[in-house]
Order: sequence, then structure tokens, then C-alpha cells
Amino acid sequence: MKRPDLHLEFRSDPKLLSCVRALTRRYLEDLGVDAERAGNVVLAVDEACTNAIRHSYGGRRDRKLAITIRPNADFIEFELCDNGVPARADQVMRKELNPCDPSNLKPGGLGIPFIYKAFDEVAFVPGKARGNRVRMRLRRQE
Amino acid sequence: MALDIDKRETDSSWMVKAKGDVDLYTSPALRGVILKLLAKGDKALGVDLSEVLYMDSSGVATLVEGLKVANNAKTGFFLTAPSESVMKVLQLARLDAVFEIRNSV
Repeated sequence: MKRPDLHLEFRSDPKLLSCVRALTRRYLEDLGVDAERAGNVVLAVDEACTNAIRHSYGGRRDRKLAITIRPNADFIEFELCDNGVPARADQVMRKELNPCDPSNLKPGGLGIPFIYKAFDEVAFVPGKARGNRVRMRLRRQE
Repeated sequence: MALDIDKRETDSSWMVKAKGDVDLYTSPALRGVILKLLAKGDKALGVDLSEVLYMDSSGVATLVEGLKVANNAKTGFFLTAPSESVMKVLQLARLDAVFEIRNSV
């Protein structure tokens, strides 16, 4: 397999998320992705990392996360890997966001919809015993 | 990026101004300030988001929780001059119509 453009390993510490966002934003800018799509992708990558830290690692800050970016002729693929608790299928399934009923407000539950919204293809692949792999593909535009 | 949080009191409300990025790292501090002021229960609370450069779902959840607490306490809760990036994430979350949004600080 062709070597990825970028492979970043980092600690599951929320204070590092701003660095991940900056790197992602700069990478997309350099590829000429328009600001609107890039903003959505930066948010989605951040949400995927946040999910891994909160849910896979239960908030532990000393675990390993890895982001790999592989572009090809059709897609820019982001892959996030952790070695934490595998997600259940119902936790990562596609959910549409509807206008919220003010009498039934619930904080949370936005990260997964943001990921599906930003990318053209999303695959959550939980490991059998440990770990999760999230593959997110952005279709390249002419 | 760090988040600076300032608070001030007016005749009718508490105003909290957030400046920087609101994400998983920084949103607990904003949440703490908002919930502490709402616990006083004496005035409405406004959150000035004009200088928030980035907000993720944990930031949105913080605002939703503040609104819920304020609604239960029957005190006001409003957002002031949200930046373009904050408005985008509120629209993405389909929550922009849920909050009272004031345009000027």
C-alpha cells in the first residue's frame, strides 16, 4: 500500500486536540479544499478524537491515538485508530439531526452526526476485543 | 488553544465572555462558570460568544445544559453575538432556533 501522506500518533489528552485541528486545517488548505468543507472536516476529525478519548478510553489521557491521512484520485481518507473499548453498533450508527424540541433538550449526542455530515463515506470498524478504527472519506472535487 | 473566560454583572444579568476555542479540553471550565452563576438564581445569564473561534459538540452541550438549568430555574439564558463559526455549529446541530440570540454585546 502506498505510504500515507501523514501519520500522527498522539496521547489521548484533550489539550492536544487544538494541535490536531490546526494540522488538519492546514493539510486541507494546502490541498485546496474550500473553507466550508474544510471547517466541517476539522470539526468531524475533532469529534472522532473526542469520542475516542471519552468513550473508548473513558477519559484517560495516557493512551494512544493515531490519525492517518491517505489521499487518492477520488478521496481524501482520514483514519483514526484507538486501542480502547470497542464501540457498539448502535453508538456509531448514522443519525439525522432534526430541529430540536426546546422542551426536550438533551446535551450531547452531536459528535457522530457531525462526522456523518462532514464526510461522504464513514465506516466505524470496532475491533473484536479491543480498539476502534474510524475511516472517513471526503470526495475530491474538481 | 486556551480559553479565556471573563464574567461581569449588569443590572439585569450576568455576562460571561468566552474568548478562544471551546472544545473537550476547555468546555469544562466554561460549564463550571455558567453553572455556578446560574446556581445563584438571581439574574439571567448571557454568554458572549463573539470571540469564540471554534466550538465543538462539547461546547454546544455546555450551552444546552446552561439553557436547561436556566429554564428549570425560570431565569433567562441568552447568547450574544455568536461568531460565524459558532453560528455554523449551532446550525449544524439544528439548535440555532432554540437559543435566544442577541446581536450586540
